[in-house]
Amino acid sequence: MATFISSLQTTLKGYVAYRGREGHISFIVHRITGLGTLLFLLVHILDTSTVYFFPSLYEHAIALYQSTPFMLGEIVLVFCVIFHGVNGLRIAWYDMFRPGAWNITGQRKSVRTTFMISIVLWLPAAYLMARSLIIHNFLDA
Amino acid sequence: MTANIRTVTPPKNFDTFAWKWMRYSGIVLVPLVWIHVLIQDVLVGVHAIDLDYVVLRWGMIGWQVYDILLLAFTFAHGMNGLRQVSNDFIHAEKARKAVAWIIFVLWLVISAIGAIAILAAAAKNLAAVQ
Repeated sequence: MATFISSLQTTLKGYVAYRGREGHISFIVHRITGLGTLLFLLVHILDTSTVYFFPSLYEHAIALYQSTPFMLGEIVLVFCVIFHGVNGLRIAWYDMFRPGAWNITGQRKSVRTTFMISIVLWLPAAYLMARSLIIHNFLDA
Repeated sequence: MTANIRTVTPPKNFDTFAWKWMRYSGIVLVPLVWIHVLIQDVLVGVHAIDLDYVVLRWGMIGWQVYDILLLAFTFAHGMNGLRQVSNDFIHAEKARKAVAWIIFVLWLVISAIGAIAILAAAAKNLAAVQ
């Protein structure tokens, strides 16, 4: 257990202390968005499965998803899915087709582009979801 | 800048396979997940989704196949990602193996639950047709 705690500390310290600018930020954000999406996915598979196993429970799950905090979470989730996808494509592209192009200047530029593409794709989706949230939970209530 | 390229031959083990899996499945997942999220979260919206909506969707073979693919690709990609992150934090070989097995069993059980729900809906639809 002591070794586990120390390796945990070593890794976390490395995550924070490493000063890799864009590459560092995209690594951290890729992990957080991936783990966040996975956590939602795990719950989402189980709640959708209630449609078959316990149909009466599904209405409760949906009611929860329709609440304001969950709808705000949904907007964040969509950013996670978009960023993780765009950044993942960037990584896959370099790894599989341009491994020689993995250099610091190129990566800094491509990370900035990745964030810009993600935000541009996310904004219209966020607008539509925020609109739905206001209409259903504030104007219609 | 001089290109510094050296060719290495990765060993043919599970981790090499998993590394490739993350990239290939990731490329497939971008259209698969984005279309799902665009339809369900952005265009339809959670306020229009209820039991009937899911039953209606799973009454269509096309969406059933879609959801099975979604389940298979997303969860295997995600749980393998969790395993790779866990390897960053857990350095002892024994503990790594134990965590990998826990993640594998969790993946298998939850995938099975999801797959049964989708396929059982198919069986129900078939029974209704006959």
